[in-house]
Amino acid sequence: MLLSALIFLPIASALLVLVLGETQQRARQIALTAAIAELALALVAFVGYDTGSGGYQFTERFDWISAFNIQYLLAMDGLSAPMVLLNGILGLAAVLVSWNVKDRPNQYYMWLLLLQGAVMGVFVSLDLVLFFVFWELELVPMFFLISSWGTGRREYSAMKFLIFTFLGSAFMLAAMLTLYFSMPSGERTFDIMALVGRDMANLLVPTWLIFAGFLIAFAVKLPMFPLHTWLPDAHTDAPTAVSVMLAGVLLKMGGYGLLRINAGLFPEQMADFASPLSIIAVVSVLYGAFIVMRQTDLKRMVAYSSVSHMGFVTLGIASVAGTGTSLSSVGMNGAALQLFTHGTITGLLFVVVGLIYERTHTRHIPDMGGLAKQMPLIALGFMVAGLASLGLPTTSGFVAELLIFLGTFQVFGLATALAAFGVVLAAGYILWTAQRTLFGPSMARWGSLTDARPVDVAAMLVLIIPIFVVGLYPSVLTDVFAVGIDPIMAGFSLVGFGG
Amino acid sequence: MILELAHFQILAAALFCLGLYGVLARRSAVMVLMAVELMLNAVNINLVAFSAFRDISIVTGQVIAIFVITVAAAEIGLALAVIMRLYRRRGTVNVDEIDWMKG
Amino acid sequence: MNIGIRDLFLISPELSVIVLAIIVVSLDLAVRRKGVVIAVAVIGLLVPMVAGVSVWSDIRTTGADTAFNGALVVDEFALYFKFLTVTVLALLFLSSSEYASRFHPFQAEFYGLLLLSSAGLMLLPAAGDLITVYISLELASLPVIALAAYNKTRLKSLEAGLKYLMLSAVSSAVLLYGFAFLYGATGTLQLVSFDPAIPAIGQMLMNGESSIPFGGVAVMVGVVLVVAGFGFKLSIVPFQMWTPDVYEGAPTPVAAYLAVASKAAAFAVVLRVFYTGLDPVASDWSLLFAVLAAITMTVGNVIAIAQTNVKRLLGYSAIAQAGYLLMGVAAYVGSGPDPELGIEAVLFYLAGYAAMNMTAFFVVMAVTNRTGDETIDGLAGMGRRAPLLAALLGLALLSLTGIPPTVGFIGKLFLFNAAINADMLWLAVIGLLNSVLSAYYYLSVVRVMYLRESDNPIRITLPLYAWAALAVTSCAILVLGLWPGGLLEVARQAALNLV
Repeated sequence: MLLSALIFLPIASALLVLVLGETQQRARQIALTAAIAELALALVAFVGYDTGSGGYQFTERFDWISAFNIQYLLAMDGLSAPMVLLNGILGLAAVLVSWNVKDRPNQYYMWLLLLQGAVMGVFVSLDLVLFFVFWELELVPMFFLISSWGTGRREYSAMKFLIFTFLGSAFMLAAMLTLYFSMPSGERTFDIMALVGRDMANLLVPTWLIFAGFLIAFAVKLPMFPLHTWLPDAHTDAPTAVSVMLAGVLLKMGGYGLLRINAGLFPEQMADFASPLSIIAVVSVLYGAFIVMRQTDLKRMVAYSSVSHMGFVTLGIASVAGTGTSLSSVGMNGAALQLFTHGTITGLLFVVVGLIYERTHTRHIPDMGGLAKQMPLIALGFMVAGLASLGLPTTSGFVAELLIFLGTFQVFGLATALAAFGVVLAAGYILWTAQRTLFGPSMARWGSLTDARPVDVAAMLVLIIPIFVVGLYPSVLTDVFAVGIDPIMAGFSLVGFGG
Repeated sequence: MILELAHFQILAAALFCLGLYGVLARRSAVMVLMAVELMLNAVNINLVAFSAFRDISIVTGQVIAIFVITVAAAEIGLALAVIMRLYRRRGTVNVDEIDWMKG
Repeated sequence: MNIGIRDLFLISPELSVIVLAIIVVSLDLAVRRKGVVIAVAVIGLLVPMVAGVSVWSDIRTTGADTAFNGALVVDEFALYFKFLTVTVLALLFLSSSEYASRFHPFQAEFYGLLLLSSAGLMLLPAAGDLITVYISLELASLPVIALAAYNKTRLKSLEAGLKYLMLSAVSSAVLLYGFAFLYGATGTLQLVSFDPAIPAIGQMLMNGESSIPFGGVAVMVGVVLVVAGFGFKLSIVPFQMWTPDVYEGAPTPVAAYLAVASKAAAFAVVLRVFYTGLDPVASDWSLLFAVLAAITMTVGNVIAIAQTNVKRLLGYSAIAQAGYLLMGVAAYVGSGPDPELGIEAVLFYLAGYAAMNMTAFFVVMAVTNRTGDETIDGLAGMGRRAPLLAALLGLALLSLTGIPPTVGFIGKLFLFNAAINADMLWLAVIGLLNSVLSAYYYLSVVRVMYLRESDNPIRITLPLYAWAALAVTSCAILVLGLWPGGLLEVARQAALNLV
């Protein structure tokens, strides 16, 4: 029941906070307690996952709609365990950065906790329909959080986010239902465990169409160029905690889906699509990086850097199938690790940007300068996130990107070289931004600003700790991911790759 | 000339189309109602003709025709009540003017 | 022809509804307090409920039965709709008692007419021949004409009554003309006799011994006219134009009745006529329905986006929803695998649709009754003025959009399943894309409720029994969304009667 607890603890707390959290004080107490408990549960699950025996663990299986063989099927494998942990970490950070929310705090925390519960459901559901249910469930909290507690053109951004994701998931639903009805009558199932390794030839429609249906849904979420346009708007107008969750875990759902479903169930089609995917990946990396340079809004800048960094994920996944001769899981391991590290690093960046905005009430970069003098702790947080983001050794960003490049170099030489240029650009824009905002001549108007309070420091620490732990001791995650990725690799060799 | 089933069918079709034209083209609500009556009677002719010409022992065609006549009478009664009420309020039975809802 | 006790037993639910109507109207003459009349009407509905249960338990053991020489078919399919109609009616009475008080001193007649009309609706799905179809249809429609124009001081209401009357009369004529052709071609009005008669025509034509003028075409013309005639009742494009006007002009409880009970019965009779009577020519009408479904949902959704009146919006939404439901009707597979899927999905969705649409209408009724403002902007500030009502309307709208964990999602899932099972993937994809489209206007209403402030200080309160009705419908949305298995099984048993 551990996984059910992981999903329903936040959901139950959400109802609790709605009813009892009329005052801000009470609401954040309940939410904080829930988030800490959730992180503890996630840690228990992560540590309790036995990498020695591998496979699916903590399995819970009940019939849900038996007429269509839809099950309530939860399980955790090497791929989902780190994602569960990531969601726990970011959930806590999100509650901590929302400390000052005064407008309808009970509703705010309710949506935030519901969001965390829904995302948790996505990561541990092993039944396609259940996966889809949680995938869609997350839309509602996001819509309300952005449109009610956001800034700027919040209603437009919330609607855009919703329509994009909903459109993507429409294709996913069509794909999964077609897949289901393609199977012979007695063997129809939505069970991902049972679908892995099944022969995906002779479906109702050409297999690549089904593959593409899933791909579109995940590409919107990840997001891949050119389906990324909702992301900068959503990020810019969302409240800080939502930006943290969005960058930290919601985008990761896209990468997770690519690994779990596209690569896991359709290795052959993945191989066919590998080259186009690698091109899209490189375009995302470079496009994102170049656009970042032109941004003057701090949040928009971080948003586009996400587009760029998620391009690495796509590249790493594509690398596995790019060649028929040598099969190496290094690139895919790197991609999975990038999901986790980008979650913590960009989460931290958004926390810091949020803290700066809370004090200066502007995100316009040219208006800032010399902030490090007034707020050294926040500046320190910014530097940690920034350096990790550009891949400084000893931080987790370095390990993930190194693995991706090691894996992809032999497969897509040119693409890797171009993507590596993206890292150079990242170094450029991050250092340049830091220089313009934190250092340089300090401005008189910012003289009275205060530094981070203990609660803000806690929010930053929650994210800084995993950045360094993974940077210094990456095998704490890579060992787990490897267990999850091995079956996917086995799928590829089964269809004749790496022979 | 011997009347055949086809003649009745053509007559019915002509009446029905006439009625349909009336429904679409007439402006007065009362005239529209009369056009509907025309359509219903076309149906009745069809039903009775089928029933008479086809070798059917049970006269279901005639039976349903009687039902149609009865129900149509009830419908007209209700319709005239509504139209009366409208006429008293507005002094018109023109369906083009009876259009206060837009969209 | 002889009428036995058994015949009366089999139609005891309808008989008791008619008797109840007479009691309610005559009680009004004797009793001064209006509350008594309403109480009698609601509690009296237990009688048809009990009668229905006893008929049900009878045919469970003896199998489906016919009454009045085959004029009525009493099977689980028919009973499903009897229960649905009675339940809807009871909830409608509870929620509209306050609204109906404006009809003083003609409240009792209001309930009486609703009861009479619903007796017609209960007979419709049980129709065994085309005469019964026609008579029940008129029994159901004529009281509704009076009800639509019931608000006789309001011009819009009179217009709604007149429009409904005209189009109902024309559609009946078209329908009857279609019946006449079917009768002429087959020589029978009994649905069960169509099955051997229609293929026999083809045989006779081939042997050149047909005595029927236009013999081959007659069935086709009949089918097209019948589709057109029913099209009005189902409000499918291009026969939908009355729907928004009548929904806007008619008293809100009547609009709710039309949208929920009347529509369910119309779908039931269409399923009955086409699946038991016209299945020899299924290949023709199934494609016709599929195309109409696609057009209907698209037109309904596109026009709904531009609406400013909330009742009118619900009218266009009802058109779009009819399009989704029509997918299930079109999903005919004949002797293919799982032939009951389409019917089963329609039955399930109709029940879910009743729950979500009634919730929406009840809230709209409560609000417009207090504020007198029927525009969408009139709902502004509901999130603060009436948080519970706003939340319930939000839930209903999310369900209409098809977002989990509501019954709207599960119901649509079943409809898409049916479409894909019938090799109509294209239709399912159009349906999915339409869901995305509909998200825009449904959520716009949610947005107005929560994000627009209102200077209207009117607080919205509801009598206790109206809350009870709302509690039932909104719980049904969630319960059927989370545990659809039970109702689905009932729907499946009912559906099996038609295949």
